[in-house]
Amino acid sequence: MSADPGPLEVNGRPVERASIPDDERLLDTLRWRLGLKGTKEGCRSGDCGACTVLLAGETVLSCLALTRDLPALPVTTIEGIEEDPVAIAVREAFTAEAALQCGYCTPGFVVATVGLLKELGPDVGVDRLREELAGNLCRCTGYAAIDRAIRRLARGGP
Amino acid sequence: MTRPDAAGKLRGAVTFGTDLERPGMLWGALVPSPAAAGRLRAVDLGPARRTPGVVAAIGAEELRQLLPSALGRERPLFPVEEVAYRGQPVAAVAASTRAAARAAARAARVTIEERRPVADVEDRYPEWPGPGAASDPGVIAHVRAGHGNVASAFARATLVHSETYRTSGVCQVALEPHACVAEVSDGVWRVTSSTQTPFGVRDDTAEILGLPAETIVVDGTWVGGGFGGKGAAFLEPYALALARASGRPVELALSYREEFRLGRSTLAAVIRLDTAVIDRTIVGRRVRLLLDTGSSLPGRDFATGYSIGFLVGPYRCGAVEVEGFGVRTNKPPFGPHRAPFAPQCVFALESHLDGLARRLGVDPLEFRLAHVWREGDETFLGQKVGPFGGERALRAAAERARAWRPSVAEGHGLGAALGFWSTGTGAGGEVRLRLDGRALRLEQVEREIGSGSVIAGLTAVAARATGLPARLVRLVASDTATAPVDSGVFGSRTVAALGRAIVQANEKLLATLARRAGGGPVRLEEGADGIDVVGPAGRRPVAELLTPEERDGGGLVAEGRHYGNAPPIDPSRVEDGTFYPYTDFTASVDLAEVEVDPETGSVRVVRAAAFQDVGAVISEPLVRAQVEGGFVMGLGEALTEETLWSPDATLLNPSLLDYRIPTLLDVPPLEITLLEGAPGAGPFGAKGVGEPPILAVPAAVANAVADATGRRVRDLPLTPERVSRALIRP
Repeated sequence: MSADPGPLEVNGRPVERASIPDDERLLDTLRWRLGLKGTKEGCRSGDCGACTVLLAGETVLSCLALTRDLPALPVTTIEGIEEDPVAIAVREAFTAEAALQCGYCTPGFVVATVGLLKELGPDVGVDRLREELAGNLCRCTGYAAIDRAIRRLARGGP
Repeated sequence: MTRPDAAGKLRGAVTFGTDLERPGMLWGALVPSPAAAGRLRAVDLGPARRTPGVVAAIGAEELRQLLPSALGRERPLFPVEEVAYRGQPVAAVAASTRAAARAAARAARVTIEERRPVADVEDRYPEWPGPGAASDPGVIAHVRAGHGNVASAFARATLVHSETYRTSGVCQVALEPHACVAEVSDGVWRVTSSTQTPFGVRDDTAEILGLPAETIVVDGTWVGGGFGGKGAAFLEPYALALARASGRPVELALSYREEFRLGRSTLAAVIRLDTAVIDRTIVGRRVRLLLDTGSSLPGRDFATGYSIGFLVGPYRCGAVEVEGFGVRTNKPPFGPHRAPFAPQCVFALESHLDGLARRLGVDPLEFRLAHVWREGDETFLGQKVGPFGGERALRAAAERARAWRPSVAEGHGLGAALGFWSTGTGAGGEVRLRLDGRALRLEQVEREIGSGSVIAGLTAVAARATGLPARLVRLVASDTATAPVDSGVFGSRTVAALGRAIVQANEKLLATLARRAGGGPVRLEEGADGIDVVGPAGRRPVAELLTPEERDGGGLVAEGRHYGNAPPIDPSRVEDGTFYPYTDFTASVDLAEVEVDPETGSVRVVRAAAFQDVGAVISEPLVRAQVEGGFVMGLGEALTEETLWSPDATLLNPSLLDYRIPTLLDVPPLEITLLEGAPGAGPFGAKGVGEPPILAVPAAVANAVADATGRRVRDLPLTPERVSRALIRP
């Protein structure tokens, strides 16, 4: 095991990393060590987006990140944006359009959308949002309702 | 409509199978067969047991001591002599961490005397199977049926249109991998699983482990997508055996690669269609089907006996002869997938009809309209056709096609297709209604898989049947030990079958209340203080009409059941195998405009319209969501989705990178038209809509490609390579 990389901040709380194995993925640390199961395990190979979290505000696939290798930047999961005003707006838009069915990809979509809206600003165009979200797979909705929810959120249009 | 599950799912706060956790829980892993075919010589679990963290390791040998009832079963937990496909579980391990369990599974030494596997149906049958082939050991299912004088029809024909189509395997790709947790204590074998069929899992598991069904209790979780893939026992018997061996709760979950490699999905097929025409009228049809059924075919010959009807289609076609073979190969068992194998059949038939119409110089939609079923027609198996929206859907699509045609650009094409389905109410089920003074509880076993059919569909039926507002209907899902029996969330049946059961339970409830209220008819209404009974004798709170036991014990209970009866098929038309009658007749028509790149052969769907026969709408947002989702899944089957197998039966693309499903960027604008008025088997005349929207999508896209290019692609999916080959074909 390599030298202690120091604590990681998850949803505002420090998480010691000294005893975490070198090859443990952030996804597993979040879900099984910290009990933050809102982050979903899909493909574990970076292809589906279900495990999306924010690292210093940027979207990251937690299945591809090794917990001990991460820089000491704040990690935010779906549980950490409960009260966030942008997340509230995203949830409202997804609720209004019923942009979910089974719900397994949903936390990944919400976290990614929140991260993108914050990073790119409220005037981001819908085309840009769509492109950025194309790495999040959904098998139930056919994306139509998700697309309508995105349109509500992307004020910059078209 | 706000989905009742939106708030929880948008916060990541609902528990799926993959989220299950128990105190002291171990992790399970399966030891895969390293070969696709051969004799199992030895399974050495020593190295697995010596892996740090391992608590239990079991194979066929260990079952002798541990669970003798599981030996010699028709569907054995572990193979004893022969392995049937690469990745087949030959043993299982449980360890304190997932990493340890996987390391131990890799450490096990499996020795197999390998044989050359049968990788696909044409490996086994390069030529069409000859007479007597039905009893070949390689044939898992054989169906043959027909009526009329087919030979004479073809002899008299002015034109015979003959084609061969090939379709690829497709996977369900529910984003949540299979997962369950098993616990064994005090003689109760309890498994909590992300499943579409709790009772089906219970009964299958009892069969596989050789245990009485009553000793097994199955509980569901929120299901992260099903699409048919979570509809039978799969991981549950392994998890239970590991829990028994270790004395601890065991979680067993598949990795996504295992989802692809071990999952039960649709496999490839070869379809031969011959149609005899006199002038412009179809007078005869011959259908031949070779379906890859992998190493086995759960549900016997359902995949052949049901699907083959989609190759005759919802049309009058004179004399008919169908023959289908389910062919054993060294792949995982065939499994259902949203309208199992039907989109592939519809692709073949509707491409065939489209090409035939063009050969005859007839508009393809007009050609279909001239032959499509009308109510009262007969299926090729002699069943009377009930109310069917096919003609209306085709006319609506023809009108839209005329409106679109002038704006279809150079290099683009327009295509349409008709799919046909029947609501799966033949699979029965039961519900319990429990009425106290404050609410109506709807008790049943099923969990939500995503469509909303359980959490919103069943409550909508209960609200409409009782007249109560939906917020007074409380859905209660419980395990197989306490809930009424049901077949599962599949076959577009949930709202239809359980909805009919709810209507029946409500009638019983009202009859009891009418007697107690001094005469009927009565109805339920929200009152000033809870629920009231309103009838000829006036308005009274429900609470006043309950017995003391009911007031203390949870209310007035009524059970409802629905076991759908379809009119029989004519047995004299069946020569071999099992065929299945239709409970109702659902049409689904798609219209698509495509752009074909002549350089690369890549196809882009530019716009589309879906015309869905729904019988009667119970919840419009939910129905539209099924059409949207089904259309896009169909788009994947049309253009990109296929399992690729090597000649030694290895799956070459077991990942979401290489098995490509549609993304947000692949979806065209879709116009949706819901057609009511041709009632179906569900409550209030509703038809099931979970599956129908996928049916005609690949065919509509293929017909649009033919319209754009003048070339017919007879292999599904329409990859750039296949389209390019068609374009350069001499």
